[in-house]
Amino acid sequence: MSAPVSVPPSAPVVAPISPHAAVETLLRHFPEEVRVAYVRLRDTGDPAAADTLVLAIVADHMPRSEAALTDSAELIADLGFDSVAIAEMVFFLEDLLQVNVSNAEILRVRTVGDLRAFVRLKLASVPRA
Amino acid sequence: MNRTAVVTGLGFITSIGNDRAAVTRSLRTLTPGIARIEFLGNPTLGVKVAGTIKEFAVDSPSWRDWRWPAGYEFARETLRSLSPHGLYALCATEQAIADAGLAREALTDGGTGLYCASAGSAFLLHHNLTQMHAARFERGNPMGVVASIAGTLNFNLAAHYGIRGAVGGFAAACASSSHALGCALDDIRIGRQTRMLIVGAEEVNAETTLPFAAMRALSTNPDPATASRPFDQARDGFVGAGGAVCLVLEEAETARHRGAPIYAEFSGWGQAADGYNVAVSHPEGTGLASAMRRALSDAGVAPAEIDYVNAHATSTPAGDRSEALALRTVFTAAGARPRVSSTKGLTGHPLSMAGVMEAAFCALALRDGFIPGNANLTQPDEACAGLDLLRATVDAAPRLVLNNSSGFGGSNVCHVFQRAEN
Repeated sequence: MSAPVSVPPSAPVVAPISPHAAVETLLRHFPEEVRVAYVRLRDTGDPAAADTLVLAIVADHMPRSEAALTDSAELIADLGFDSVAIAEMVFFLEDLLQVNVSNAEILRVRTVGDLRAFVRLKLASVPRA
Repeated sequence: MNRTAVVTGLGFITSIGNDRAAVTRSLRTLTPGIARIEFLGNPTLGVKVAGTIKEFAVDSPSWRDWRWPAGYEFARETLRSLSPHGLYALCATEQAIADAGLAREALTDGGTGLYCASAGSAFLLHHNLTQMHAARFERGNPMGVVASIAGTLNFNLAAHYGIRGAVGGFAAACASSSHALGCALDDIRIGRQTRMLIVGAEEVNAETTLPFAAMRALSTNPDPATASRPFDQARDGFVGAGGAVCLVLEEAETARHRGAPIYAEFSGWGQAADGYNVAVSHPEGTGLASAMRRALSDAGVAPAEIDYVNAHATSTPAGDRSEALALRTVFTAAGARPRVSSTKGLTGHPLSMAGVMEAAFCALALRDGFIPGNANLTQPDEACAGLDLLRATVDAAPRLVLNNSSGFGGSNVCHVFQRAEN
């Protein structure tokens, strides 16, 4: 059993992240603020931390590294993702957050904003451990 | 029109050097690339040495952790689907393309093909499957398949370079890249392709190397200076190695017309299997002898015309003896006495890539005028009686050389290379 999660009153309920998804492994190449955000998400369920994490992961995977990372940016048209690159990014999220994402769910995500919203929703829907 | 093929470019990531100059220096001075290694940090393992690849760090399953020598730049879209030996292969191929003086556009014209050989990445396959088992196969790395299965080299290199000609992989264990080379020659001869890249690569890690210890095929001699000693009485198994070699083969007139550097002509090849055992060579080397004769016949060359044989001999008791007897059958019985050496005393045995690596060594010997010696050969096995086993590298310009390879299942492949008349 995981330790009880403390959720800030203003934040929606977000499921705890499995403690074994580690800052020291998957996120070791990311900047310090991203790793801190992951720990905050894991410990508090803070959805703002999830946003920080998602944006950093998109930036890390997007083929057009110079493209602007706005909410309306389309993964394929604007950021240069192809289906394999999207699958790679989704697997990274699955592995990090210990969730499973279906093909149907992936197909509904077109923009960075869609992805941010999807991850928030996904984490909220994961049953508490 | 009789189409012939010439070698116009070489690239090396090997235990004896990561470029042509270093490899040539090592072959000339018999400087070995074998080093002490402790696989998995386990000091109780009997295997203590390997033909290691220097200047690379590829111990991690994540490409983000990898390090490679300066001078190579790869995008993440390329790196994400590579295995460690795929990285070696990419570096060797970059060298070979530059060496051949080829523009990138020349690779995408459909006249250029790519044949590769590797056993895949047992290391990454194990990592990916372990990860999938842990997730009860509910998720996995989407790049796991193309990065790790046999064929990973041709998948990745073909996509990276935009190759539009023949693309494929060969899986005949330690003869694989020799098959690749032979089939590439056929494609050029019959006019299907004008240029072929032939790439062999392997990893040198616990997952690729140590299963051969379970077969009792690896040397347990802990001394890097003597562990790999082909044809020597004291040999006790092969020394695992890895790396990558790329060889550019081109239709001769096309190569000459564009003023390409020409190392050697690839004059013929032959193959024949033992029909004997899944893992052990025929004790008399009958399949290898047939393969040598077929290669000589294909090249229109008599045994007495061969100046040098780069033997497959890996330093195993059974394999080296079998090859020595095959050489006596083909050469000694015909009154011929070419110089013979196995360069695996220097390099160790890099499995699938051995054939193309040693073909590249032959090309260097033909162009630069030397014959590499047998490193670590002190007391030749009595099965070698009558063979001219060089102890040191000699400055003698061979005109015709034979390159031998053998693999599991009794596959034997031989190539004949000839000094180019520029």
